[in-house]
Amino acid sequence: MALTKTVYNLLFRRTSTFAVTIMVGAILFERVFDQGGDAIFEQMNRGKLWTHIQHNYEKEGEE
Amino acid sequence: MMSLAARSGAFSPYMQATAVTVAGPLQALVPGVVVKGENNLINPKKQFLCRESLNGQSPKTGPAVTVSINGCAGVRFAHTDIRIPDFSDYRRPEVLDPSKSSQESSESRRIFSYLVTGATTVVGVYTAKTVVSQFVSSMSASADVLALSKIEVKLSDIPEGKNMTFKWRGKPLFVRHRTEKEIATEVGVNIAELRDPQHDNDRVIKPSWVIVLGVCTHLGCVPIANAGDYGGYYCPCHGSHYDASGRIRKGPAPLNLEVPYYEFIDDETVMVG
Repeated sequence: MALTKTVYNLLFRRTSTFAVTIMVGAILFERVFDQGGDAIFEQMNRGKLWTHIQHNYEKEGEE
Repeated sequence: MMSLAARSGAFSPYMQATAVTVAGPLQALVPGVVVKGENNLINPKKQFLCRESLNGQSPKTGPAVTVSINGCAGVRFAHTDIRIPDFSDYRRPEVLDPSKSSQESSESRRIFSYLVTGATTVVGVYTAKTVVSQFVSSMSASADVLALSKIEVKLSDIPEGKNMTFKWRGKPLFVRHRTEKEIATEVGVNIAELRDPQHDNDRVIKPSWVIVLGVCTHLGCVPIANAGDYGGYYCPCHGSHYDASGRIRKGPAPLNLEVPYYEFIDDETVMVG
């Protein structure tokens, strides 16, 4: 409860800081959401993607 | 037949074939509100007979003028049977009790409201940004177009003094391996006597390699390499002479041969585009 009170007083009380909080939160949320979605996708397609089987076909030092 | 029954007004009960009572169109006065128990203002058990009994039936508030010792003149029957809407299902649990002060719980309720607002806006901003960037990126060139827009030239295949032509974006591309003598000549040209003044250093990245578009700036013919008065390019259509740096020296063409954007990946390879 004390934490939420501090958060409210610091971030939500003024409209300016509230807007900044939303912007920063959107950036953080975008990173978490996108990378989380990618991680889930790769988990579900493990062994099927090119990045997973690339080492079988490409030798070191060759391009 | 149905329209006749509907329009017949007062006769419609006699024109109907069935006598089954169905629910009428009249709705409750306050729809969609949860009602928890009736809360009528009048006392239905009290007898409704005389002036004295009416005294108990009338509401206690509102305009009431006493004209006699024990009589109430302002007896209002209207609206005394309206149910009081119960909004407790829509209220937060902190403010359910009307007798309790809402002041203590105001902070937690406010924090909750702001948190919900902020979280919704964050998701909304993310969605809007994603939609806009999707639309904007759909306008740019697709990957297959971008892949065709570049060409890699292996420079070791071109001997000194030779010019090779490649097809790049539907146009001929000249890659010329200049000799030391040609480089010295082109660097030493007096810029003042050129039609389209441009120093040789501005047209090349490495002096050994001249990369220009093989399109004559006059009417778009393809010039012939290693020909003409200046040893560079010569356009057979109308006789424009270009030097070994692709600059116009003689003839009708107004501008130097165009230099595309290119970069050297390593000593052997150049990427144009």
